[in-house]
Amino acid sequence: MSTTMPTSRQRRLRTWAFWAVPVLLLLTPLATNAYTQFIINGMLISILVTLGFTLVIGNLGQLAFANTAFFGIGAYASAILSAKLGLPWIMTIPLAGALGALGGFLASSAALRGIRSYYLAIITLAFGELMRWAYLHTKPLTGGTDGLPLPRETMFGISLSDDTLKFYIFLAVTVVLVKATLNLLRSRFGRAVMAVRENEVATASLAIPTARVILTTFIWSGFVVGCAGALFARHVGHVFPESFGMLHLIASFAMVLVGGLGSVLGAVLGAVVLTALPEYLRAFPGMEELFFGLIVAAVLVAMPLGLASLLRRLSPIFVERYYREES
Amino acid sequence: MNKLTTFLTAATLVAAPAFAQDDAWETQGLTDDAITIGVMGPFSGNASSYSKALIGMMAYYDKVNEEGGVHGRKLVAVQEDTACDSAKGLAAAKKLISQDEVFMLQGNSCSGVALALRPTIEEAGLPWIVAHAVSDSISDPLAANIFHGVPTGRANGYAMAAFVLSKPDTKNVAIIEHSNDWAHSYSNPARDYLKEHGVEPTAELTMERGQTDATAQVLKLRQNKPDFIIAALYEAETAIFLRDLKKYGMGDIPVMGTAGTDLENTLKRTGDFETVQNYYVIHSYVDNLDGEKMKPWGDMIHKYYPDEELSTFSFVSIGSAEALVSALEAVGPDLTRSKLIAALEEVRDFDTGILSDPITWTPEDHQGVKGSAVAGFVDGEPTVLKAWGQPY
Repeated sequence: MSTTMPTSRQRRLRTWAFWAVPVLLLLTPLATNAYTQFIINGMLISILVTLGFTLVIGNLGQLAFANTAFFGIGAYASAILSAKLGLPWIMTIPLAGALGALGGFLASSAALRGIRSYYLAIITLAFGELMRWAYLHTKPLTGGTDGLPLPRETMFGISLSDDTLKFYIFLAVTVVLVKATLNLLRSRFGRAVMAVRENEVATASLAIPTARVILTTFIWSGFVVGCAGALFARHVGHVFPESFGMLHLIASFAMVLVGGLGSVLGAVLGAVVLTALPEYLRAFPGMEELFFGLIVAAVLVAMPLGLASLLRRLSPIFVERYYREES
Repeated sequence: MNKLTTFLTAATLVAAPAFAQDDAWETQGLTDDAITIGVMGPFSGNASSYSKALIGMMAYYDKVNEEGGVHGRKLVAVQEDTACDSAKGLAAAKKLISQDEVFMLQGNSCSGVALALRPTIEEAGLPWIVAHAVSDSISDPLAANIFHGVPTGRANGYAMAAFVLSKPDTKNVAIIEHSNDWAHSYSNPARDYLKEHGVEPTAELTMERGQTDATAQVLKLRQNKPDFIIAALYEAETAIFLRDLKKYGMGDIPVMGTAGTDLENTLKRTGDFETVQNYYVIHSYVDNLDGEKMKPWGDMIHKYYPDEELSTFSFVSIGSAEALVSALEAVGPDLTRSKLIAALEEVRDFDTGILSDPITWTPEDHQGVKGSAVAGFVDGEPTVLKAWGQPY
């Protein structure tokens, strides 16, 4: 597939478009009810989960599946800090991100020891299952199988069970983290990330500290997904271990692939489409899983580079280049 | 005076839409010929076998509709899948409440999902009858609009201990359980009941999930010589425990199991009648599933869902649907949500003819079913029992 480089005018348009989308989104509560608002909020969480995942498997090229572990760590951190320590939920978001980053650090230790490919996949999968076991068996802290409810809370005099208020908070967090990730990928560091993916040995030969690159990418991925976990905890109001199992991992992986591996735009598209799709399939009870599988398979067969490739074909403004573009 | 009149007129004009909105809310999801009921459950996913409970319940709606409905209104089920997942369940609840605008909710199989839904539904205020999930925390503490229509975990735990103590001269009771919340939801209320009746368990043992041998536990019990054993174990581990109990010559000690095991399935798993002949399980119904009293209910389900394969779950939600219809009839044709809630709180000792214990809802207590029968083998036949040696 060939793509044309965006002109400087198109790049300016792209910048405008980046900010125009969230500004327009600010108006969505005028046209939604509690249900549709809840689904849109879920999309924003999925965007962050998919973004963190695609960073590691798409941009860094590491077959690591600890994403759901980071998500669970963030959700439980937020729930525990709110319910047990009485912290306002909003303050738990960066703390949940920090604990997710710690999870990223732990997961990266396997990659740093030279474990790659399927071996890394199995180790990180085991890490996720270990975390789920921990949620189940540390009942005084996590509530065990009964889960952990978040306390009812208000902000600006509005209940945090209000989906519109949650939407504005989720949108702000999502925009900040997506923009930060884009900036990271467009920096010298981002280019090093992709160099590691292409050839780790050759990258090291250029005096690029590949270990530090791998470590930092895992940590940032853990931070982004940990923050998403904190949003999820408030989104559902009650955190259960079952929410952080293999099914969640498979759904997130499908979002990465359907959107386009290693693409920020793809992460957004994959998350939006695959969060909305099951809701459209509610009309076919019992057949949802079958239709969901068929639709995902059809998209991947028709567009192996994901939905982002479709947009790139439509206009150069959707082309993601992570090196300096000449004006 | 003129100013006061103007002020009152203005206040009435401002307040009128609010009152109108309240009126509209009271009758949302209601027409002259239909009452829409949101039915949530795991219609897909790993726990989809639980949805049989909701199929049974909807078959009862169909029966009522065929007989003319309630005060001329049909019960229209709006089905939504939760897949036993809290996020998906919340989406389903919000869709039913704010998009489909149903009059009320009935159903829910997975306790975790129901617990996650409680704040949203409590805030929305529409009546919700929990028709399958058993966690006590769904309806306790009391929420004005949430009613439990099946025995809760606490009711089942009490029923287990009550049956154990109904055996004459039972003083020495042992408990064996998994170390998870599911097991504790049965064993802790059972402990409380025993304690209230002056009995302290003389042995408390753990058998982990997936364990394939219970020799260590059985040898400890042999030293203890209990009169009765309460076993809060899943079916596979129950079969292993009973097998080892018989192997070490203790097969004559009665064992009381949870609603999570089925008597005949346990017999199939062990493949040996002698191993299970002294095993008893919680059984929420008035008869065996293939018994005379259950047959009309099975026939009813097959009439409206001809391909439905019946299981122990198929019947569990029908009782609360009967209680709902009785409350709707009591309200009369001038139905509102508040009137229905008030009528549900007037349901007393309602004999469903299917659940072993009646339903009673009061303004102070919305956990309607306080007990459960027990099933065990009597003269080689599976039999429903009220108490030791006392057929239902």
